[in-house]
Amino acid sequence: MPSSNPLPPKENALFKRILKSYEHKQYKNGLKFAKQILTNAKFQEHGETLAMKGLTLNCLGRKEEAYEHVRRGLRNDLKSHVCWHVYGLLQRSDKKYDEAIKCYRNALKWEKDNIQILRDLSLLQIQMRDLEGYRDTRYQLLMLRPIQRASWIGYAMSFHLLEDFKNALSILDTFLDQQQRLNIIDYEHSELVLYQNQVIQESGDLKQALKHLEKMSDQIVDRLTFKENLGNLHLRLENWNKAADIYEELIQRNPENTIYYKKLIEAKRLTKEADIVDFYMKYNEKFPRAMPPKRLPLNYATGEQFRILLDKYMRKALSKGVPPLFVDLRSLYKDPKKIQLIEELVLSYIESLKKVSKYCETDVGPKEPASAILWVYYYLAQHYDYLKQFEKALEYIETAIEHTPTLIELFVTKGRIFKHAGNPIEAYQCLDEAQAMDTADRYINSKCAKYMLRANLIKEAEDTCAKFTREGVSAMENLNEMQCMWFQTECALAYQRLGKFGDALKKCHEIDRHFSEIIEDQFDFHTYCMRKMTLRSYVGLLRLEDVLRGHPFYFKAAKCAIEVYLHLFDSPLKDENAEQELNTENLAPSELKKLKNKQRKAKKKAEQENAQAREAQVKRDQHHKSRQQGDVEADAPQLDELIPDKLARVDDPLEQAIKFLEPLQSLARDRMETHLMAFEVYYRKRKILLMLQSIKRAHQVEPSHPKLHSCLIRFLQVFNENQRNFDPAVLEVITSETKSLLSTKDAKKLNKEFLDSRKGSLKAALEGAIATYQLDNKLQKEALGLVMDIDHNKYTDVDIEICTEIYKNLRNGKLGACAQSQLDAFVAQCRKRYPHAEAFQPPQEIKAQPQTNHVTTEQDSN
Amino acid sequence: MADEGEDPVNGTSDENSEKSQQKKQAKYDSGAADLEKVTDYAEEKEISTQDVANAISAIGDRRNQAALEKQAREKELLKVLIKKEDVDLIVKEMEISRSKAERTLRENHGNVVNALISLTN
Repeated sequence: MPSSNPLPPKENALFKRILKSYEHKQYKNGLKFAKQILTNAKFQEHGETLAMKGLTLNCLGRKEEAYEHVRRGLRNDLKSHVCWHVYGLLQRSDKKYDEAIKCYRNALKWEKDNIQILRDLSLLQIQMRDLEGYRDTRYQLLMLRPIQRASWIGYAMSFHLLEDFKNALSILDTFLDQQQRLNIIDYEHSELVLYQNQVIQESGDLKQALKHLEKMSDQIVDRLTFKENLGNLHLRLENWNKAADIYEELIQRNPENTIYYKKLIEAKRLTKEADIVDFYMKYNEKFPRAMPPKRLPLNYATGEQFRILLDKYMRKALSKGVPPLFVDLRSLYKDPKKIQLIEELVLSYIESLKKVSKYCETDVGPKEPASAILWVYYYLAQHYDYLKQFEKALEYIETAIEHTPTLIELFVTKGRIFKHAGNPIEAYQCLDEAQAMDTADRYINSKCAKYMLRANLIKEAEDTCAKFTREGVSAMENLNEMQCMWFQTECALAYQRLGKFGDALKKCHEIDRHFSEIIEDQFDFHTYCMRKMTLRSYVGLLRLEDVLRGHPFYFKAAKCAIEVYLHLFDSPLKDENAEQELNTENLAPSELKKLKNKQRKAKKKAEQENAQAREAQVKRDQHHKSRQQGDVEADAPQLDELIPDKLARVDDPLEQAIKFLEPLQSLARDRMETHLMAFEVYYRKRKILLMLQSIKRAHQVEPSHPKLHSCLIRFLQVFNENQRNFDPAVLEVITSETKSLLSTKDAKKLNKEFLDSRKGSLKAALEGAIATYQLDNKLQKEALGLVMDIDHNKYTDVDIEICTEIYKNLRNGKLGACAQSQLDAFVAQCRKRYPHAEAFQPPQEIKAQPQTNHVTTEQDSN
Repeated sequence: MADEGEDPVNGTSDENSEKSQQKKQAKYDSGAADLEKVTDYAEEKEISTQDVANAISAIGDRRNQAALEKQAREKELLKVLIKKEDVDLIVKEMEISRSKAERTLRENHGNVVNALISLTN
């Protein structure tokens, strides 16, 4: 049933040409043909032509007209599958996938066997992960088009994704059976066979997988993947000798791949550290130029052997001048004995190099290059920085800079030391210096921008980045367009520190949108991968997209957003207008007049700025339109503009926070902070069971985390206050679930137990102290006593962060009002311990902002 | 060459400057422009075989055992009696959708305490 209003042959031919033009992206031609039909008075309301015209207009970026035409077309021909299909495509281009699916279903009502519609429907279903619906649609497609390769692959894959391996495999078998009779062995076929093997492996039948792989060996052209899979299967099936042979071959092929060595050790079943070291020695002789057999034994060797190996390894690197030597060796620092040995060795180098330009005074042979001692200084600076001995680190880096004042790495390291010592300003100045030494180095440029953001210098950071961003567009905008997330995250954090919450939220939302966009971008691959037969990568992509928001980048941005929303809930921004009106009441008439004048001017200025912004927006839109013309997928719906002020004044900050929290709860469940933030949100909503949920999950991750104690105490407070109002079922849940979490329901008792059991930890002491004061403010002295004395080795976990946090709590009243003398005493202690940290500098040095407001008003009125 | 000579009118300097501007723009957009030219439309590859009919008959509509069992389980679930107040309580306390609350309650045989406990895990 094609249409209720069929066109005569001539017009029909034109209509077909519209379709062809659309498929080949020749939209202008399409419009021309549509016009030819529609100008005929008999067909000016022809539904399907109107719909196609609308679709074509949509591709040219004329969205409103597009909707108007498509809707009119549909109204004129409700029984046409073309109209419904087109409406679905339009909705799809607006990312309204649910609506689009409904349209496709309507279209299929009128033409149930239309391949194109079924195909489009299947794309939406896989995008929305309606896997069962996807399977059913793929079944229909296979029945309709059994001679198409994609039909078979799609149907098999739908079972694979549903983890129904048996059916997936039997379909692949049937299909490959057909293929093999043709004897075409090409890359695509080879990929298909490897995909089949992957499915067998995932079904858990490793023996079958191995059999299959060996049988198909001559059909697989990707020999590396073949070998790696073969080795892995032998290993998992404990065919030790065969596995060992294959990994030997693989090492021969690429002696730089560390995984091969680890697997070979596994296959040879070497477990004793000495044996493993011997193993690497053997391979070092065999492949004298390869790195892994030199570096990896350092992980296993101990004592004197470690010293000898390390000595050899370091000498080579230092003579050659390998800048990332420290980063390379950092993983050895888990072992304090190795740290000791490294330190002794490197210090001995300095002595000898100074005296005789050799690593050891008794060495024979030529002198080391003059740069060797420089790299030793450089290494030691990083070494002491890692050990948080910042004075020594600075001393060595200064010596190094004196030796060679032109080496960029030295300044970067100096900056990093200052950063770790708590001084972001000095840190950024070092990076700026480094950046100035080579302005064409993008890495240094980015690092410098990042350090600027750490020092809250947003404008400067943007200007720095602008050296590499596209001309003609503001750097901030270009960085957003390029999805430069590290910049945006650091920017959000800087705004958060500066108290510009709206701007911080804007950055967080921008990052959230990047993630949505990445999920959208998947769409193109549903057809592409199926066609190109890159099925293993395709399945990998689908699985990656499923957990996309578990990425650390998202976590960082979401954490910032949640913290800001929590802050906005605790202390909402005041309404600016109301505040001003309040002020005017206490003003003399003359001053009032002045003020009003000023306000009027400010308003005018703001309006001008707004107009400029609007103009810029229009320009941007045009720019986008011209760029996106003719691309169906790219003309994404115009998202609401993110306006900082609006974002900061939302009515429901907690609900907004939950939007960022939910992906973390499902995808970052193993991170303690997820549950601690969840608790903060639900505590403010007084949702006792959700508080319990957060506590239970946090307890699973890290039961001894000091912050968990604070959650437990507040949970008990809320519980004890509202006990009578709870539903009996809720009470029962709490009683049964807190048994293992809480030894007592008395918060004070719980707090005392906690403090007694965690005596050596300052972090625990702070949480305990806050609880002590909050539960009974008569005990302020005791509470302060716990945290005010950070010296005398009372605590083992003192660092800059915890001291800063204590200082913050002393000032914000969480521990009660503190006398200035007490604060000063505490800061003095911290300053003594961390002389570089900005947080503990005397206040007058930080707050040196000149008060020039008054002067500028004077100038304004002139 | 001859064509160019005969048509000097088109080569105004105005157009040239515009062109160079466009060129600059094009330099940045060239990658994107190339991409634009690619259509999503492609002929599907076909397998050439006479035995498709045989193969297809071997396929049939597969609903494996697991799927059938799942369906049966769904039916079982629907039979479980649940109280509206319980659903309301779950929705209010756990802030989840009604359908998810109902489902959890059914899975716990209508026992609201167990349902809530499973949701706090």
